[in-house]
Amino acid sequence: MLALDLLANGLIYGCFYALMAVGLAMIFGVLKVVNFAHGEFFMIGAYTYVLVSLKLGVSPWLALPGAAIAGALLGWVVERLLMRPLYAGYASWGFMKDEYAVVVTFGLSLLLINLVDKTVGPYSFRGPSLVDFGRFALGPVMLTGQKAIAALVAVALMVGLALFIKRSVWGLQIQAVAQNRLGASLAGIDATRTTSLIFVISGALAALSGALLAPLVNPSPDIGAFPAIKSFVIVVLGGMGSIWGAMIAALIIGVAEAFFSVYISYDYRDAFGLIVLVAVLLFRPQGLLGEKGREL
Amino acid sequence: MSPGGRLWSERLRFDVRATLVICAALALVPLVVTGPYALGIILVSIYFAIIALAWNLLAGYAGQFSLAPAAFAMIGAYTTALLDHYGHVPLAIGIPAAVVSTALLGWVLGKLVLKLSGPYLSLTTLAFAEIARVVIGNSHEFTRGDQGMHVATLTQSRVAYYYIFLATLVAVVAVLYAMLRGRLGRFMTALRDDPVGASSRGIDVVRTKSIAFCVSCALCGLAGSLYGTFSQLVSPELGLLQQTGLVLAMVVIGGMSSLTGAVAGAILVYLSSEWMRGFGNVQIIVFALLVIVFARYLPGGLWGLVAGRLRGGPR
Repeated sequence: MLALDLLANGLIYGCFYALMAVGLAMIFGVLKVVNFAHGEFFMIGAYTYVLVSLKLGVSPWLALPGAAIAGALLGWVVERLLMRPLYAGYASWGFMKDEYAVVVTFGLSLLLINLVDKTVGPYSFRGPSLVDFGRFALGPVMLTGQKAIAALVAVALMVGLALFIKRSVWGLQIQAVAQNRLGASLAGIDATRTTSLIFVISGALAALSGALLAPLVNPSPDIGAFPAIKSFVIVVLGGMGSIWGAMIAALIIGVAEAFFSVYISYDYRDAFGLIVLVAVLLFRPQGLLGEKGREL
Repeated sequence: MSPGGRLWSERLRFDVRATLVICAALALVPLVVTGPYALGIILVSIYFAIIALAWNLLAGYAGQFSLAPAAFAMIGAYTTALLDHYGHVPLAIGIPAAVVSTALLGWVLGKLVLKLSGPYLSLTTLAFAEIARVVIGNSHEFTRGDQGMHVATLTQSRVAYYYIFLATLVAVVAVLYAMLRGRLGRFMTALRDDPVGASSRGIDVVRTKSIAFCVSCALCGLAGSLYGTFSQLVSPELGLLQQTGLVLAMVVIGGMSSLTGAVAGAILVYLSSEWMRGFGNVQIIVFALLVIVFARYLPGGLWGLVAGRLRGGPR
């Protein structure tokens, strides 16, 4: 039952993609910019997890929140230093807003990759597993203990995030600011603080995704590139800025990619998502669930 | 002519003169620098200057923030290499063929992203660039994948190659000047500043965008093709996203929307990156930081500062 195995593994990878893509979608929803450094949040999370557990000898279960904190801090700093000019009233702006965001996040991505390359080294690390549990078969599906546990944690995080966005006051504030920043401010919501919060959450989620995947992918400084490109695809497919769209699209992409790499071409599996991205942007720019028309 | 129009052409003339001064200085370099290695480094910086000029036309003047310049250099280099490898086509045809193929592809890409802007445009061009690189890097039987391909060379003399690159740079500057000083240049900046307003005033947005993509990509292809024949090896590494990042850094540090900014930025950034290799390969860290700082605090770049001083008052 290869197909069932692929389906299960695709869904599991979909969960990790979702952790990254949701943050990217929230950032786009609020600021209408794409964070090209999102893959580096992932990378920082993976490295924090590996280094804290290997060098400090801390239990991997404690390294996981450590990675989340590192990602959250990075997200906060990025928002405070680089993103705030996008909305905090810089009228005489030499760059246009979109271009500024592309340049700055692209630069940030290069900066973080090379900083880690210089300080930690270019070789890849083998991350410690969360559980000492080898391969096992769940019916026709082959899993490893790490993969199963990491997927469970990812699902729990997604459910937690969904409840947070739907139910909590902060979640409602995030939704309000994404819909209309000015309107939200008029209603007494601190839009600046909410934007900070979004970057903190996005950073933490991407870092957690990296930490959970670290034992499976062996982090190196440029590890974030492909997860990031996949999350771009997912965010576009889900409708730029739609959190629920991103969650569903992540699962779809995870499964579709697993099937593509086995049944069509393993070599071109990385091109598959990109073709989806171009196709969606051209034919259905509002995404699967989105309502917004395309911009001129 | 209206005062606004005169201001534009005066700025452009000043800009192009400054660029030609840099080119003249570059022409004297082989008299001073005789080591083949050092000359090679300056030659590569001229290669980047051409790509930076091409990207600046698209991003700086026309406002289309493409992330595919390195991919087009790679496609140009591979066009020449493949023609040479399979058809033994002489370079005199192979290099123009690279220009034509990248111009066509650029035109197609321009058509694809016609209705996109901002982050959507950046993402689509990024995807295009990565698809091109993955396809070339994985077609092992056709392009030999990551191993790269051997290409014929124009001449063995490094000094001759240096002047070929320099002549290309001057020609590119001339082409861009001719384009920018006329209506087309103004159409492009109008398109950048206000696409809706531009089309409402009767500017053919489709045509202007297509031309910008076509010319910019063709120039990248030309640079890539020439570079391939110089190094006699083309590999998918030419199209790495890091290369695009480097071009972006050059233009942002040098000064967006200015010919001098692109050329001076490319040469300064590339030369100092070679210099910084001696200090433990910190160059990309430094440039990434500089890009962020420039974008944040000095959006006019170095040329913005210098031109302001030279001409008095803000540019």
